[in-house]
Amino acid sequence: MSVEIISAAESFLAAAIRMGTPLAIAGLGETYSERCGVLNIGLEGIMLSGAFFSFIAAFLTGSIALGLAAGILGGLLMSMIHAFLSIHLRADQTIAGLALNFLSMGLTSYLFLVVFGRSTQLPECPVVGRIAIPLLSDIPLIGPVLFNQDGFVYFLLFAVAASWFLFYRTDWGLQMHGVGEHPRAADSAGLSVYRTRYFSAAMNGIFGGIAGSYLTLGLLGFFMENLTSGKGYIALVVVILGRRNPMGILLASLLLGSAEALQFRVQTMGSTIPSQVFIMFPYLITVVVMLFSIGKSKDPAALGIPFIRTKRG
Amino acid sequence: MKNILKNTLGNLLLLLIMIALSFIMISAVGSSQSQALSAFFISIFGSVYGLSEVFVRAIPLTLAALGVSVGFRTGFFNIGAEGQIYMGACAATAAGMALPGLPPFLMIPLVLTAAFLAAGGWSLIPGFLKARFGLSEVIMTIMFNYIAINLTGILVRTVLKDPSYALPMSPEIPDAMKFSSLLFPTRLHGGLFLALGAAILVYIILWKTAFGFRLRAVGENPRAAKCTGISVYVHLLAAALISGGLAGLAGAGEVMGLHFKLMDGITPNFGYLAIIIALLGKNHPFWIIISSLGISALHVGSSAMQRQAGVPSSISWIIMGALVLLILAKEQILIRLNERSES
Repeated sequence: MSVEIISAAESFLAAAIRMGTPLAIAGLGETYSERCGVLNIGLEGIMLSGAFFSFIAAFLTGSIALGLAAGILGGLLMSMIHAFLSIHLRADQTIAGLALNFLSMGLTSYLFLVVFGRSTQLPECPVVGRIAIPLLSDIPLIGPVLFNQDGFVYFLLFAVAASWFLFYRTDWGLQMHGVGEHPRAADSAGLSVYRTRYFSAAMNGIFGGIAGSYLTLGLLGFFMENLTSGKGYIALVVVILGRRNPMGILLASLLLGSAEALQFRVQTMGSTIPSQVFIMFPYLITVVVMLFSIGKSKDPAALGIPFIRTKRG
Repeated sequence: MKNILKNTLGNLLLLLIMIALSFIMISAVGSSQSQALSAFFISIFGSVYGLSEVFVRAIPLTLAALGVSVGFRTGFFNIGAEGQIYMGACAATAAGMALPGLPPFLMIPLVLTAAFLAAGGWSLIPGFLKARFGLSEVIMTIMFNYIAINLTGILVRTVLKDPSYALPMSPEIPDAMKFSSLLFPTRLHGGLFLALGAAILVYIILWKTAFGFRLRAVGENPRAAKCTGISVYVHLLAAALISGGLAGLAGAGEVMGLHFKLMDGITPNFGYLAIIIALLGKNHPFWIIISSLGISALHVGSSAMQRQAGVPSSISWIIMGALVLLILAKEQILIRLNERSES
């Protein structure tokens, strides 16, 4: 009996990690952007573009590495459109992000039809295999959950540690913080607000592209219209729940990943509870967390506000 | 004068880019240009039915976009129209089912009021959190969208479900609350007058009343408004209520005029389109009606292109996304050009 429970727990936790990983990677990218004051609602579009281009490249070349590279470029393309509009042209970040999502949804569905035509059979691409880390993967429970995963999960763990170090232990992290809190002061101190924001937007595109690639190259092995179906918005949730701290984002994405894994379990068990109850969970939690953060909000002060160097105020 | 010239030139350039983009996308899938174009225009202008479909779609789009624009004018950035449409549809259905047997002249105003209040109340929560505590309404309204969509899903599977059907949907609403058909056999319904009436009312409120002036003052410059004794708090709340309420009417209209029942997916992204329409329509009721018709025609035409010429209808999303991005770019570039010529 206890063996069964352990193996059930193992497969549940492993599934939770795989569900949470794309959210965490995308959320990490958005954190770079938001820490220096750019709110990018277009994360959904970035992920979708990453998922599509990674799929196309992996399908055509059979190479996962090339697929990943194309996914990153696809994410970058979208984030750079948003960056140019919101940083350089100082356009409204929310509307630009929303339009980006429309554009990405249209573009990926359109290109998919151009390349594959209307076929009933979904084309498939190669999927990454799992890499068991020697010795560590033999530890009961923790081993199979943490150390017998695919490369994307290991990348996430590395990226969380590296981003944490970058944000809190380097000058560059301090600079990003300054640009997000008080761009004018940062500018007076000789920092380039635009350059910092462009860097973060690029990170957002790269991470978002990788997150999208994970959906196709890591989890599904195929692409279809609107594949991300709101995952980009959940990643925005992860950023808030994790309070823009890489460790917090990892935990928040695990929480939401567990909720998603649980939803699948409950559904397959034939429960009569509508699945919407579970789907709603992350959004409800976010609202509650935002309510509790009233009065001690840690939002970057310049979040969503364009910086105009030649203007006072 | 020079500004108008620049603006017109900019718009013409935009139009050219969009036309070129459409032509490229149509040829890239190997469809014939003439076939696609004729499918596009004939589906819209070729028949009374086609034209009526444009208006049918434009009804909820206009109502929701009016709501969004009232919010924008007052500085309440309402991304939540999608969820508010759902709440309005739920409230209308629930009210209709709770009060069968009322005559239409009582039923319809009652149901519309219920939808307005439910959706307005739904948007009042993020509105209150913004006005009182300064919480960002952008993220909050997005969360509320997803909660509303799933709440609707739960309702049509439990309380509001029609027990005689296996599918998750409500029973058909009472006849007394159905909008009458305007042009049988098309689907055009009395919601058209609701949308037009709302547009006129929004215009009068915003530009012909002191209350509307205060709303706009709060949106233009909250600090200046506060200094002249206008309560930013009260007016933000009012804007959130009206903004959500109008989107709720859009949802009620879809139930009362088109579907006659509540189900999942009652709005195919209308709430998000409404934001784009409010932007294209410069938050002005007249231009919002025009933009709603335009976006609606784009969708009707592009689905005809897909059926008859094999052009993926997703190009309408590309066109919309690209159009908004280019408009954002154009406006900012114009502002910069003017700054440069002034200094």
